[in-house]
Amino acid sequence: MTSLIRNPLTIVWALLTTVTIVSSLIALEGGAAHQINTTVTTAVLLIAAIKAQLVIRHFMEVRRAPVWLKVTTSGWLLGLFTLLLSFYFASL
Amino acid sequence: MTDVAEGFTPGVGKSRSDDNRRDHVPGDSSMWFFVIGDLLIFGVYFVGYMYFRGQNHELFLQSQVRLNLDIGAINTVMLLTSSLFVALGTEAARAGNRVAALQRFWIALAFGAAFPLLKMFEWIPEICSGLTPGTNLFFMYYYVMTGMHLCHVALGLVILCFILRNLKTSKAPQISFVETGATYWHMVDVLWLVLFALLYLMR
Repeated sequence: MTSLIRNPLTIVWALLTTVTIVSSLIALEGGAAHQINTTVTTAVLLIAAIKAQLVIRHFMEVRRAPVWLKVTTSGWLLGLFTLLLSFYFASL
Repeated sequence: MTDVAEGFTPGVGKSRSDDNRRDHVPGDSSMWFFVIGDLLIFGVYFVGYMYFRGQNHELFLQSQVRLNLDIGAINTVMLLTSSLFVALGTEAARAGNRVAALQRFWIALAFGAAFPLLKMFEWIPEICSGLTPGTNLFFMYYYVMTGMHLCHVALGLVILCFILRNLKTSKAPQISFVETGATYWHMVDVLWLVLFALLYLMR
């Protein structure tokens, strides 16, 4: 059991769970009012990007994968979140 | 090496050094092409959602408030926990520990199965209160994207069952098969993390 708790994968999971709770609280704090909130949106999207990257690198084991796989997955994340934030800010 | 470990495919998970190997594609390469294709397809949906949201922020904000953030957040933790146990199970399988691998994949399956169950507790009250895909563009995106994701979860649960069967009954369980299924399951997790931020959290 101790080895499970000390396992790097469990530490990554603890981090992911914590930021999930934090991002939910950010949304509740800043977004209960039915208003556009650029700070909340930027924060929760960046947190989502970091969480996705953590899952891809550590759970999907891409950190040990060949360069083409690292570049493809990181490229997808970077491209996606750049587009999402660009469309969001362009529409304000 | 234990009798448990002896049951595994030769050359698989024989030593700790395997954990430190580099340039290893986890699972079948063809699964990765599927995963990348799926990520791109969902990416188009995500960007489309953001584009149409930009056309009518007010409608999306008013609709979004009617979602159940609590269930959304709990479901996120369910998938993350399921993914953790799949990753731990894969690690155990690679190390040749069949008993630990089986236990961890069973736990992963339980957490994964909680997702569609909770989704029903979320969807049914919403549908009963008149929120359907025809309500407006937000709910159309909401049901289509979460519905497509739920189909992926369902397929993922079936794959987890096949992994369990492979670990339990096969004389020489194939680590490549375990890794391939795990890769798919983690992709389902990644997609949900983006969906959760777009549908429930952003303002």
